[in-house]
Amino acid sequence: MQFKDQIDFVRQHITKNKMRVFMTVLAATMGTAFLIVLASVGFGLHETIRDSILSNRKVTELEVYSSEMNQEKVDELKKRDHVKAVVYRQFVNAEQQVKLGDLTSTSRMTVTDFVEEGKANFSLAEGRLPKTAEEVIVGSHFGQYLMSEEELEGESEVKGYDGDLIGKHISYQLQDFEGNPIGKELQLTIVGVGKKPAKDWDQDQNIYGDALIIPAIEQIYFAEVEQDKDEQSLFYGNVSVHADHLENVKALSKELKDDGYSVYSIADELEQLDVFFLALKAGLIFVGTIAILIASIGIFNTMTMAVTERTREIGVMKAIGADPKLIQRLFLMESAWIGVIGTVLAIVISYGVSVVSNYILPIIVSAALGEEDLGGMDVTFSIIPWQLVVIASTISIGVAMISGWRPARKATKIDVIQALRQEL
Amino acid sequence: MISVRNLNHSFKIGKKGKEREVPVLKGLTFDVADGEIVSIVGKSGSGKSTLLHIMAGFLTPDSGEIRVKGTKTSSFSEAENAKFRLNHFGFVFQNFQLMPGLTAFENVELPLKLKGIGKSERRKKVKELMQSIGLTEVQDHYPNELSGGQQQRVSIARALITDPPVIFADEPTGSLDSETEQDVLLLIQSLNKARGITFVIITHDDEVAHTADRVYRMHDGELTEGGRPHAI
Repeated sequence: MQFKDQIDFVRQHITKNKMRVFMTVLAATMGTAFLIVLASVGFGLHETIRDSILSNRKVTELEVYSSEMNQEKVDELKKRDHVKAVVYRQFVNAEQQVKLGDLTSTSRMTVTDFVEEGKANFSLAEGRLPKTAEEVIVGSHFGQYLMSEEELEGESEVKGYDGDLIGKHISYQLQDFEGNPIGKELQLTIVGVGKKPAKDWDQDQNIYGDALIIPAIEQIYFAEVEQDKDEQSLFYGNVSVHADHLENVKALSKELKDDGYSVYSIADELEQLDVFFLALKAGLIFVGTIAILIASIGIFNTMTMAVTERTREIGVMKAIGADPKLIQRLFLMESAWIGVIGTVLAIVISYGVSVVSNYILPIIVSAALGEEDLGGMDVTFSIIPWQLVVIASTISIGVAMISGWRPARKATKIDVIQALRQEL
Repeated sequence: MISVRNLNHSFKIGKKGKEREVPVLKGLTFDVADGEIVSIVGKSGSGKSTLLHIMAGFLTPDSGEIRVKGTKTSSFSEAENAKFRLNHFGFVFQNFQLMPGLTAFENVELPLKLKGIGKSERRKKVKELMQSIGLTEVQDHYPNELSGGQQQRVSIARALITDPPVIFADEPTGSLDSETEQDVLLLIQSLNKARGITFVIITHDDEVAHTADRVYRMHDGELTEGGRPHAI
């Protein structure tokens, strides 16, 4: 029998028992949709927590330390595979004072490469990144630490500065450890304000300048202070290497350690999170599979009834020469059809439920908690990746075919003589 | 064409553990020649239907041998039997055994579908055959919309469609009135003459049996007589 005739044969039988087949398909659809939606919550929460950690840009970051860190080594690190950015932040090894009009603060200068900072997801709350040595950006709390003389001496309440900072000129003064100025002031312009740190308790009052500013600061400092070769240099720094993807952090970390660097990353901690969610997702898929197994009872019943009802027809087909394997295949195709249609419908419904729940659930949870935006967290309740679709489809269609297996076997064993004796 | 040698078969009846064996065929030996109509006539319970079931491969005999065109069919597996039936045998049953969900045309087409023949070739062949048997007008009717005679004609057409060398007919006129019975018997005779098809007819009706070229009479699982109809 040609395959299209087999399909046609199955289709004819299905259309003959529309209601019964519809109810069975419905059960298969509900079971499969339950599995997909349930497991999608695991995928959604996993993604949400991963995103939350990743957005803090800490997971792909490796803190690298070497006693002889310099620009040459930094450039070598940039060339390595899977390295997205190498941020070399340098700090001034002297006291510093910043003035904005009458207000002063003890904010410190951090010198960095903004191209690399950009690659490592450094972002601004407002303004732009510096383009020249005279341009700087300031931390989000910079304004709060600008104080008048009265405020400094405790004669009045500390108010800070809450005006607009972009475009403002500040003077930057190096000092010795007793507070005496070293050399002349540097005039700088604020062109951007950094984003608030993710952690509430972090305060960022620093000013950030481009590496171009280093010669100017060194010139001022060493014009007055004699350079001693044994002493520490004016700038000291730390290096953080950013991997291009989380999966590569482990290998990169090992590579750097093998090359003699001291390395720290929290990717290992994230690995534990992945293991936990893997177990959770497997558990949810298992629970969902139980629903499919319950639906499979319906498929088994439908197919058993189909075989019983068609005993005489099967007998006639066998009598005129139908191969028993063909009979078995026709019934297996029928149960597989129920599984396939049920699965396709379930996938469509699940995506719908997923989209709706991602829209509605945050509103409901926010209302229940009395918060407007879930504490600033971007929560995704349900995600249906293609892998989940493949797993659910395999389970659903597989279970449908297994359910149809026994009735199909029963059909092949029907005795022709007994079947032909059945009343019409 | 068909040779049956020393065929024995018995059924087990009664409750499990207390069954007893009832012999239904006792050492049958006979031949069916190519292109002849053979009737096997006997009363109910004489074993004639069991003989047909064994010859058709629905049952495996306890002992003995059946050869069809030299091929030993009595030791075939179920799948081998099915394949052999599809290519060599046609069947006409007392209660027609048409598929209720298929039209007359589709019923006749079914064996060709099982053989894997393409749609256009199938349709052409079925149309021609139905026209030659006078079924064109009812080809789109379902079995429950046909008279007994029409249903049996459809059943004969289904048996003929694969051009089998042998057609087994189990009480082919058992469900028909006498007028229709004559029509069906005439059709069988004309097909036999026109196409040279061998017919093995099982019947309890002497009148039907006497339309055959050769008649075997069965009694209690044994062939008691065999020969030309007028001689029995």
